[in-house]
Amino acid sequence: MVRQFLLGALLLLSGAAWAELPADPLDSPLWEYNIERYLGQGANVVVDDRVGLSVPGFAEDSTQVPLTVNLEGFPHRATRVVTWVDMNPVPLLFDAESQDGGVKLVSLNFRVQQASSVRAAVLDEQGVWHIDSGFVDAAGGGCTAPREIISGSDWENEFGTLKTGLFSEDGNTRIKASLLHPMDSGMVGNVPAFFVGNVEVREEGSDAVLLAMTLAESASENPMFVFEFEGKSKALAISMEDNNGYRFEGAIGGEKP
Amino acid sequence: MKCHITPAHRSIWCMSAIFTLLLFATAAAAGGKTYDLKATPVANGVWVVEGSTANFSKTNGGNIVNTGFIETGEGVVVIDTGPSKRYGQAFRELIERHTNEPIVKVLVTHHHPDHAFGSQAFDPNTLYMLDESARLLERDGEAFSDNMYRMIGDWMRGTEVTVPQHRVQPGEFQLGKRTLRFIAMKGHTGADLVVLDETSGVLFASDMVFFNRALTTPQTPGLMEWRSEIQQLAELPFSIVVPGHGPIVKDNSAFLQMTDYLTWLDEIMASSAARGLSAAEVISTVIPDRFAEIEGARYELTRSVTHLYSDYENRVLTGN
Repeated sequence: MVRQFLLGALLLLSGAAWAELPADPLDSPLWEYNIERYLGQGANVVVDDRVGLSVPGFAEDSTQVPLTVNLEGFPHRATRVVTWVDMNPVPLLFDAESQDGGVKLVSLNFRVQQASSVRAAVLDEQGVWHIDSGFVDAAGGGCTAPREIISGSDWENEFGTLKTGLFSEDGNTRIKASLLHPMDSGMVGNVPAFFVGNVEVREEGSDAVLLAMTLAESASENPMFVFEFEGKSKALAISMEDNNGYRFEGAIGGEKP
Repeated sequence: MKCHITPAHRSIWCMSAIFTLLLFATAAAAGGKTYDLKATPVANGVWVVEGSTANFSKTNGGNIVNTGFIETGEGVVVIDTGPSKRYGQAFRELIERHTNEPIVKVLVTHHHPDHAFGSQAFDPNTLYMLDESARLLERDGEAFSDNMYRMIGDWMRGTEVTVPQHRVQPGEFQLGKRTLRFIAMKGHTGADLVVLDETSGVLFASDMVFFNRALTTPQTPGLMEWRSEIQQLAELPFSIVVPGHGPIVKDNSAFLQMTDYLTWLDEIMASSAARGLSAAEVISTVIPDRFAEIEGARYELTRSVTHLYSDYENRVLTGN
């Protein structure tokens, strides 16, 4: 009896630091650490696969691993979407804020340093973080041969090329934007950090921001963004800014010149 | 070995020492894995060594590939050398058990490790490759090698990238009583050798053709280019098709499956791009039931989307 009580007290004490944190479904050593780091101390967290995180089971190209957070089955409004790759030197991929909670999908490729758990945390309107997890094996497989990166002579001419597309998806508005940018993380020797840190999506001709996103070191070179928003929009505008002050802007849909 | 211990303990100590030694010996023998290669005659003087349709693993040692050899009366022509030095050695011994003719020409059909990494076991003076394939092997060989060590482990022991000294030229090749036709294609890696034995009608298609095994696309110049070359292969005067991976067939079923699968892969990526789907969404696309027999389809779809989808996406986006 006494023994059981002591054991219980001990468990209670050891659990007190993260009283509400559920167990990591993937049992990663960095579960608590990264949640605290990116969602804040004492964040109210639940494990929830309705967040709809999808990543491939293995990284065919460790510099371009596709990630999608598809909130189609998420029953709440998503006001923030944060993703990270636990074992990366800087785990964070992006932190996206959707003030009206109308974001339905976010997709972006990431780099992976080694086999790792990947997390997508979504903040609902009640202040609860819903976390979904995936695992990417970075050992690749098959005769893995990353395709030649298109680099070389006309890099400077192509730099900053922004291409966009507007798509309709079940009454929602989906957009895609591809930017040619090296996204140097600053972690490669003699290559200073040079990456897009901020992305904003607005309704064309309006100041209301649909999505404000900050990117971090885990983001891949030549990013391809996919966003989906609730409701039909005819024209959106996207803008990005890198840490050297370059600004990239594009109109999506609407009248093209 | 000597045991300097009191007599009472001597026998026990020696026993355990011997036992330990035995354990090491067993472990070493287990490390010395052997490929159990079998040569199947497919025509008079033509043999195929068929591998599994699985992916590389530490269990199969990368024996997932079809290789072959042809007697000409004036020496043996070998098609591909397998995934490792150890495979190459086992393959060469197998050839020597089936024929008394010397190996005079070893054709490495393309630069992928499962076809080119057994070359070390053969006389360097007999090794041949397309010029472009040799360039690709120079470029990618070391990276492939690292990856192979990771995937099949100890089976790779001692394997070093060996780029064939000699070049093979497309066209007719006469040796002894055989007429071989060497055909240079591009669909799989940008430089792919196909060998038709005109004498027997055996077509060594190598990785231009996968049958009941999902094709791999990391270096394809384009799915439609590959498909059009499959049409050219189908028009050759063949009696037997030896795919690079998968079972041997006597009709055009492998070509039909390749054409169907390449068309599907191209269409699924084009239509997904037109709908604005993300790469992760395309990776989870439903694979049609008619491809149920194709091993590794889901795995290879993930790889193909990673390599090819951004081109399809960019085609439907517009500049600002």
